[in-house]
Parts: sequence; structure tokens; C-alpha cells
Amino acid sequence: MNTLIPTPDAIPAAWGWFQVLLMLVFPLHLVLMNAMLGSTAIAAYAVLRKDETLRGLAWELGKVIPFLIAFAVNLGVAALLFLQVLYGHLFYTSSVLMGVFWLSVVPLLIIAYYSTYLFDFRFPTLARPVAAVLICLPLLIFLAIAFVYSNNLTLMLNPDVWKAYFGNPGGTLLNLGDRVLPARYLHFIVGGTAVGGLFVAVLGRVRKGMDQGVREAAERVGMRVFTVLTGVQIAVGFLFLAALPRPVLLLFMGGDMIATLLLAIGLVTALILLMAGMARRVWLCAGLALPLIYVMSFMRDFVRDGYLKPHFSPESLQVVPQYSPMVMFIVVLAAGLAAVVWMLRKASSALRTTRK
Amino acid sequence: MNYPVWYLPFVGGGTLIALISIVHVFISHFAVGGGLYLVLAERKGLRENNRALLEFTRKHAKFFLLMTMVMGGITGVGIWFIISLVNPAATSVLIHNFVFGWATEWVFFVVEIVAIFVYYYCFGRMDPRTHQAVGWIYFIAAWLSLFIINGIVGFMLTPGGWLGDGNFWSGFFNPSFWPALFFRTFVSLMLAGVYAFVTTSFLKDTELKSVMTRYSARWVLLSLLAAAPAGYWYLSVLPNQARALVEGASPTIMRALHYGILGIVVLVAGTLVLLLLKPSCHTRTVSFLVLAGAFLFMGAFEWTREASRRPYVINEYMYSNAVLKKDRGELEREGFLHGARWVSTRAAGESNLLEAGRELFRNQCHACHTVGGINNDIIARTANMEYPALLGYLGRIHEVRYFMPPFMGNEAEKEALAYYIVKGLHGKDFKVSPEGTAAAGSKGKELFTGHCIICHPESLIKERTARWDRRRIRKGLDKLSALNPAMPDYDGTPEEKELMADYIHSLKTGAGESHDKGKEAFDKHCAMCHSLGQGVNPLLPRMSGWDRERIRKSLDMLDRLKGGMPPLQAPNEEKEALAAFLSRSLQGGVR
Repeated sequence: MNTLIPTPDAIPAAWGWFQVLLMLVFPLHLVLMNAMLGSTAIAAYAVLRKDETLRGLAWELGKVIPFLIAFAVNLGVAALLFLQVLYGHLFYTSSVLMGVFWLSVVPLLIIAYYSTYLFDFRFPTLARPVAAVLICLPLLIFLAIAFVYSNNLTLMLNPDVWKAYFGNPGGTLLNLGDRVLPARYLHFIVGGTAVGGLFVAVLGRVRKGMDQGVREAAERVGMRVFTVLTGVQIAVGFLFLAALPRPVLLLFMGGDMIATLLLAIGLVTALILLMAGMARRVWLCAGLALPLIYVMSFMRDFVRDGYLKPHFSPESLQVVPQYSPMVMFIVVLAAGLAAVVWMLRKASSALRTTRK
Repeated sequence: MNYPVWYLPFVGGGTLIALISIVHVFISHFAVGGGLYLVLAERKGLRENNRALLEFTRKHAKFFLLMTMVMGGITGVGIWFIISLVNPAATSVLIHNFVFGWATEWVFFVVEIVAIFVYYYCFGRMDPRTHQAVGWIYFIAAWLSLFIINGIVGFMLTPGGWLGDGNFWSGFFNPSFWPALFFRTFVSLMLAGVYAFVTTSFLKDTELKSVMTRYSARWVLLSLLAAAPAGYWYLSVLPNQARALVEGASPTIMRALHYGILGIVVLVAGTLVLLLLKPSCHTRTVSFLVLAGAFLFMGAFEWTREASRRPYVINEYMYSNAVLKKDRGELEREGFLHGARWVSTRAAGESNLLEAGRELFRNQCHACHTVGGINNDIIARTANMEYPALLGYLGRIHEVRYFMPPFMGNEAEKEALAYYIVKGLHGKDFKVSPEGTAAAGSKGKELFTGHCIICHPESLIKERTARWDRRRIRKGLDKLSALNPAMPDYDGTPEEKELMADYIHSLKTGAGESHDKGKEAFDKHCAMCHSLGQGVNPLLPRMSGWDRERIRKSLDMLDRLKGGMPPLQAPNEEKEALAAFLSRSLQGGVR
């Protein structure tokens, strides 16, 4: 038993509730994040190319990116909340160890966010180099933030390397010694951008108010990015799998039937997606990508549990039950979602009837 | 002691928390009140059929969106990040106890985001009734966010019944819940007006500018008026200790309150004089000045609220340094290092004083003290203290200064911490022994060093008491808090107070000199007839039981005492020195 692992606090409901909530919101956070990353990457590409249609595409994406950031952050808050309930004692520790980098996410995100709003609101008057800076800067920031997150979420799984703190308590540690880190980071970046490409293609299909040429460009570029990167992602996925510690790897090789099944489903779905992407079957891809993201998230959960098995399992958390606050949450969630649906329907109808 | 300490010797985690949270609070309250402002300003425009006013509201909504969604939203996440880095143990308590409170607040956050997007992007493109409804949904969701966060933040200051039953609702509807909710609601409405000054200052239509300036000024002034009794109510429900800190016992709170008052003055003066009475004077500079005043006010409020729960982070439950109150006794018996996880040594001994002291400093002091840094610098704070004085001070730090957590560890650990500060941080050479380098030779100096020097170097006291006679010094020692509410009263015996008064008085004439002068005066005026303790006509047995005051008084009336002595022809200063000498001699200093 690693003596550095803090004692966790008790939880107010059975751990399974939090696991369900975490697995419900985290994949949605991933979808938004992927859409945000991919849209920004494609918008950057579109600005850098000297092509009027692509310039139009860049602006259309620029209008969408701030929304994506807002909801990616919002769903990230929920995911982080439930993660902290189950794994907080590990997560806080790894965060402190790399505190400087972890906290830097906040100012970096503010810069990226404002940069995308400037890109959106000022686009028609922006010179190309300025537009390029305003969209490349958030892209680089998103890639950097992803790297910080990859570090933190792998560092929390490795209590054995935490003793490095005694040589460096200033919060400037990273998990660079972990050989899984590069493959894991690449896996998320490549996969994320691929899904982002698919999002752009879907946008081309659904935003009927956009210029026809721009819509076609969105679908063309988006599906190309999606297909190529899905191919790359399959290769990177194998690299990631191979880099995992042997006990974790074995979970997916028959050690755990569900984990093995998830891997098989994931792989087959990815191959179908690759073919559907080549055939530019946008809706089929979108329909398959969402469940695939859920499958991948469950696999990720198996990886986490595999890493933590010698140290901790959420089942061991002490439960001091208090269910009435959970009832409040569920009631408010239902009311909140009803309000959201009502507002979106009203907005959709208003924007449709007053399309400029 | 459960989590690693993020060691930031120069900045300190507290400064980072303050920086992020003050910015966030300044925006997040605007995010609540500003929502109502948008709806009501739009309604005003609709009722008056004023297109210019509606266009102003749309632009204000854009400003509102950019301010609250980006800066407000991300700094909110930022607070979460920074508190979990600086005090993970307390953050864990908040998350685990209130997870469904946070989750509920998250739902309101979702509704807010959707509502403000729909409100802004559909402005003028939706039927006004529905658009107004969306605005109302935004405001209600934002206010309910405040409702939830207010319960959890208030819990930290006044945990109330939660301390006994650990129940969610007892902690949530804690004693400060309702007054804080009212206060924050009014403050958020006030900020709605203050931020609107910024956007109105950009208006080119002078008539509209004048109308909206007055309109916004009314928001500010009426809300401030309503906030005042709510603030008083808030203050009245604080626990006694917290109220004492707010009312003057904490120097940092006093400083914050001074800034807060300055902020209020700027805010009210700017609003009242320039904006309400003379809207034509409304410029961007004025609007930013008023905004700055409001920022100072909010900053002071947040600082005061945070600081008033010291020495706790969760009142009466967890100290600022994450040690639980209930563990104090055990830590004093068994030692701190023994049970701490993130320390490099398990016990303090002669061979590892520096290392053990450093670990203790990081785990118990660094939560509030930097090392040579910008906030609460431990080096500056302990510059006047020698090892014995610091050691003594550590033993009763919480009793002397309520807002400091007690030192929690065994005797060896206390010595290690004192050693680390005096030797490790100040580089002073000395031998470790409680009696070792005590201010030998002068009990008054010893008492002064043990009790006063942590805050007042001798030079400062000398300067402050330059015009004081000894009587006034002695009287002051009886009620230090009357001199300055931030000073704890000195709980020494009357004899100790006499000795301390002597010492402080002697600083004027130079420490140590007092003794010589007193002896000189004795030799000059008394020795011809009296010895001190033994020999001819010993004086001390006759004065047995006299205090310093009585001796001094009698020196003015020797001719009226029994025995027909001649009056003492000596200047006041000489009499003071003689009285000090005799008093010290009576205490056993000289025989």
C-alpha cells in the first residue's frame, strides 16, 4: 500500500450513482471538446489557405466555436465534479504536484475563449494574418490544455511516482516519465480532431442558412479530416494499447470479458466508420461515432480501474447516505432540461423565421 | 496533513485564491443582477416603444455575455482549481458533503448558458413576450445559482448544526444563509447598475445616455440602501469570534475594510454627484472610476468574509492549514509528523531540526505565510524574535492571536519549528535550550520579548511611547485592546506588568541604562541612610508588598511618610528610574 495516498472522504450515496453520472456526462464532454478542437483546427486550416470559400467556412466555424467552448467547459465541470467525488483524493494530489501547469489552464482558456470571440465578431474586418493568429492561438492553447489534462489524469493513476514531490514541491512536475503518456495524448488529439472533422461535416449538412459552397466545403474538408484521422487513430489506438502496463493490457485481452468485448466493439465500429467515411456517409458516421465515444469512455474507465487496482477502488469508499439532496438534483435537472428544450425550440423557430 | 502542500514561498496560495475569487465574485454577482437589468431595461424599451433603448439593451447584452460567460465562467472554474490546489482537504469536504448541491448548481449553469445565448442571439428576432420570458429564465437560474453557492460558501463561515449532525441541509441552511443571500442579492443588483455605467458611457445619443445613466444610478443607490441593513443583519449572525475579528481584532481585516470604505465612498460619490445629479458629466473615465470603487468594495467584502473565519477554513471544524480541530489533542501528544502523509521525516530530533522544522512550517504555517514573499511574510513577522521568545509564542499562539491556528505537535516539534524559523530562515546562531538565549539579566525584557516583539520591535515601541510617562505605560498594559482593537490583552500578573512597564519606560533612556540610573539615584539620594536588603536601615523589608505604583507615589511624599525623611529633590525621570530600581529589587532583581 502506497502511504502517500490520502484518505478519501465519505460519499453521500452509493458509489454506483456517481459512476453512472460520470459516465453519462464525460462522453458528452468529450463530444463537445472534440467538436471544439476539430472545428478550431479546420478553421485554422481554412484561414491559412488562400481560398474564398474556405475563408467563408472559417467564419462559419468561428461563429460556432464559442458555443462549443461554453458547453465543453460546462460539461467538463460536471464530469470533474463526479470524478472528484470518486477519485478526488488521487486527483487533488496529482493536481498539486503539477499545480503551476494545472492552474495555467485557467488563464490559457480565457485567452483562447476571447480570441475565438474576437475571431467571430470581427471576422469580416480582420486581415488574414490577424485572423490566422486569432484562430491558431486557441488551437495551440487547446492542444496545450489537452497535454496538461493527459498529464494530470495519468499522474493520478501512478501514486508510485508521487514521491518526486519531495524533490520538487513547487507544482512544476509532469508525468513525462510515463511511457504511456505520448500514446495516450496522441490518441485523444487524433481521435478528437477526427470527431471534430465529422462535426464540421454535420454542420455543413444541417446549417441550411450557410452559403452552398461553404456547406460543401464543410462536408468535404470535414469528412476528409475524419476519414484520414480515423485511419491514423486505429494505428495510434494499437500503440496506446501496447504501451499500457501488462496487467491493464491483459484486461482487454480476455482478462475481463466486458473490457475485451468493448475493445472488439470499438475496433469493429472504428473500421465501419473508416469505410463509411470513405463513402462520405455523414449521418451514418455521426450515428456510429456517438456510441463509439461512449464505448471508448467505458474502456478508459477500465484502464483507470486497472491502474488503480493495487491502490484503490471506489467500492471501498465509505457511504454516509443522504439521498434527499440527490432528489433535489434530479428534480432540478428535469425542470432545467425542460426549460432548455423549450428555449431551444423557441430559438430555433425564431431564427428560422427571421433568417438573414 | 493528508495532502501534499503546494509550496509557493513567494506568492503563497492565499494570494492566488484572493486574486481569482475577487475577480470572479465581482463578475458573478453582476451575472445575477445584470440579468434582471437586461430584462427590465428591455421591458422599459418595449413599453416606451424606444428602439434606441432596445438597441442599447442588445449591446449591453453582448457586453454582458462576453463578461459573464468568459471571465465569469472560467474564473469560476478557476476558483475550484485554486482551492483544490491550496487546500485540497477542505475542497474535498465541500465536494463530498455538497456534491448534489454543486450538481444542482451545474444544472442552473446549463440553463443560464442556453438562456443568455438565446437571449442575445435572438434579440429582435423573437416575439418580445417570449424573449422577455427567456430573460426571466436567465435571471431566475442565475439567482438560484447564487442561492446554492451562497449556502455552501456560508457553510464555511457558519457551519451551524452540521457540526453536530453532518446533515446536508443543516450545513446548507446555516446561520448566515438568509442574511448573506439578501446581502448578495442587493449587491448583485447594485453591480448591475455599476456595470451599466460602463456601457452607457459609450452611448452617443445624449438623451438616451442621460436617461439610462439616471436609470442605472437608481439601481446602484437603491440596492446599496437595501444592502446596508442586510449587511448589518449578516454581521449580527456571525459567531462572536468572527465578529470580534471584523470589528477590529484582525489587522488584515481592518486594512481590507479601509479599502472597502474608500471603495464605497468613490462608488457613492461617483453615482450620486456625477451620475444622478449631473448625468452630463458621465464619461468613460467616471464609469471606470465607479467600477473601480465597486471592485474595491467587493474585494474588501470577500477578503473580510474569508478572513473572519480564521483560524479555520471551515469554522470550528478544520483549521486554515487543513488540520482538523478534533485532532489537536492527539497531535500534541503523539506529534504531527508521525501521522502526516506528505512529510520527509517522521519525528523531530536533534539531528533533523531543520528538516523537521521545514516540514512543520510547510504543513502548518505556509497556508497563510509566505517566505520572503508578498503576503504575510514569515521572515518579516518574526524578524524581532529570538529563539526562546518564538518558542514561547508558538506555545500560546492561538490564545494570543485567536485568528492563528494553535501549533499542533509535540514539544520537540515545536522546538524544531522555532529552530527552522530562527536558524533556517533568519540564519541566527544560538543554542537550542529553552533558557539558552533568554533575555538574561532583565525580566522585563524577557517578558517584552515573549509577548510583544512578534508585532512590535523595541524601536517602534520606543517611538510610540516617547511622550508617555511610566504611569501611562503601566495603565496601557491593563487594556491593550483599548489602544488598538487588533491587540490582544496582556494576561500577565500585576507584577509582570510592572516589570514590563519598567522595561518599556527604560527604552526611552536606553535599555539597561534604567537600571544604572536607578542605582545611581539610590546611591545619590538614599544610600546615606539606607541599605537595600541587608545592613543599615534596610529599605526593602519596609516596602514589602509594595507595587511599582506605590513606590513611585511615595517618592513624591517622602516628607509625609513616617520617619520624617526629607523630600526627594530629583527630576521626575530620576524618580521613575529609582522607583523602577526599587521595584525590581523587591522582585528579587537586586539585593
